[in-house]
Amino acid sequence: MTKKIYKDNELAGLRTGGIIKQKQKDYFILRTRIPGGHLKADLLKKYSTIAKKYGRDYVHVSTRQGIEIPWIHIKNIPKLLKDLKKLNILKGACGPRSRNLIACPGMSVCRFGFVDTEQLAGKLDSVAFGKEVPKKFKVAITGCLNSCAKPQENDLGFQAQGEPEVDLSKCIGCTLCAKVCEKVCLRGKRKPAIIMDENKRPIYRKKNCFFEGDCIRVCPVNAWKTKMVGFAVYIGGKVGRFPKFGVKIADFVKESQIPKIIRNTIRCYNRIAKKGERFGEALERQDLEKIKEEIL
Amino acid sequence: MNRIKGNQYINLKGVPCPLNFVKTKLKLETMGTGEVLEVELDDGEPITNVTASVKEEGHQILKVEKADEYWKLLIKKQ
Ligand code: SF4
Ligand code: SF4
Ligand code: SF4
Repeated sequence: MTKKIYKDNELAGLRTGGIIKQKQKDYFILRTRIPGGHLKADLLKKYSTIAKKYGRDYVHVSTRQGIEIPWIHIKNIPKLLKDLKKLNILKGACGPRSRNLIACPGMSVCRFGFVDTEQLAGKLDSVAFGKEVPKKFKVAITGCLNSCAKPQENDLGFQAQGEPEVDLSKCIGCTLCAKVCEKVCLRGKRKPAIIMDENKRPIYRKKNCFFEGDCIRVCPVNAWKTKMVGFAVYIGGKVGRFPKFGVKIADFVKESQIPKIIRNTIRCYNRIAKKGERFGEALERQDLEKIKEEIL
Repeated sequence: MNRIKGNQYINLKGVPCPLNFVKTKLKLETMGTGEVLEVELDDGEPITNVTASVKEEGHQILKVEKADEYWKLLIKKQ
């Protein structure tokens, strides 16, 4: 068999990102990204077209809310890249760059959600995606304490939280808020944030609160309301060979501060980490208080 | 104490989540707007889950009352 020599223009596509070498000779995987996991049904059809035309009639749905299409032959890459552009399919990242920003479904459909995480993810894609970093950098946004998008396992994670507030004039004294609160606080190893006084009226103790809003959901007469919405910020989480949980550095950060926090964190990561090192690993050598100041 | 009487009654003691909510919902669907349903539910998840779900469906909860080991819920259909 004669060995095929590839021309420069065929190989150029490989340097633009989103194309990963497969273990089989001459085959590559196309990695795409779906910011926040929100994918229009029409675009989904275009994925199908690409998988049929260039791949082997299937896709792999990644854990990072991307769709990967394997079995792309090297000779088809230049054409494939042109098609992707035409169809508005976004390429994913590989190598030393920040990855797709992921999100849970959030408040548009989820009863627990405090913010529209999917929409927010769409808006933040340009801030968070594809930046040069020492190894890789992942951002996640989740709509509540349930943490479905795993903010603690990402280099930077945002977890929406809501501070509750009670209007005692509406309260009918059913005690259900104290009941659900006791349960969440017991699991979180804190004293309850709501206790009932002798007149069966709830007393709120903010320092014990987890800001997940169980009291707001259960109250039969809507005496509990969300007073304030914000985000807890986690940094330094990763999984991989040596997993590490992110640490929380702030509560109730405003949505408008998020772009700045993402930019600052990426800059900080580039400043403190050696090549090939993740943010969480580099943080081990740092004074966390100074890092907080730099990021927030 | 003012006693609100339900137009309809279901006993859901011993019925687990989410079947208790489904039965409540189906019962409410057979009733007219403004009518009151009295539901008896177990302590723990049943009372908190059914209360939250009934509220989410847009009905009005008139009363939540603990009686011995179970709970009574009065729901006004909207
Ligand atoms: S994290 Fe909260 S808001 Fe997001 S999907 Fe999970 S439960 Fe819903
Ligand atoms: S939001 Fe706070 S006060 Fe309400 S149930 Fe949760 S921990 Fe308790
Ligand atoms: S759940 Fe609402 S009505 Fe019941 S005790 Fe708490 S605040 Fe009052």
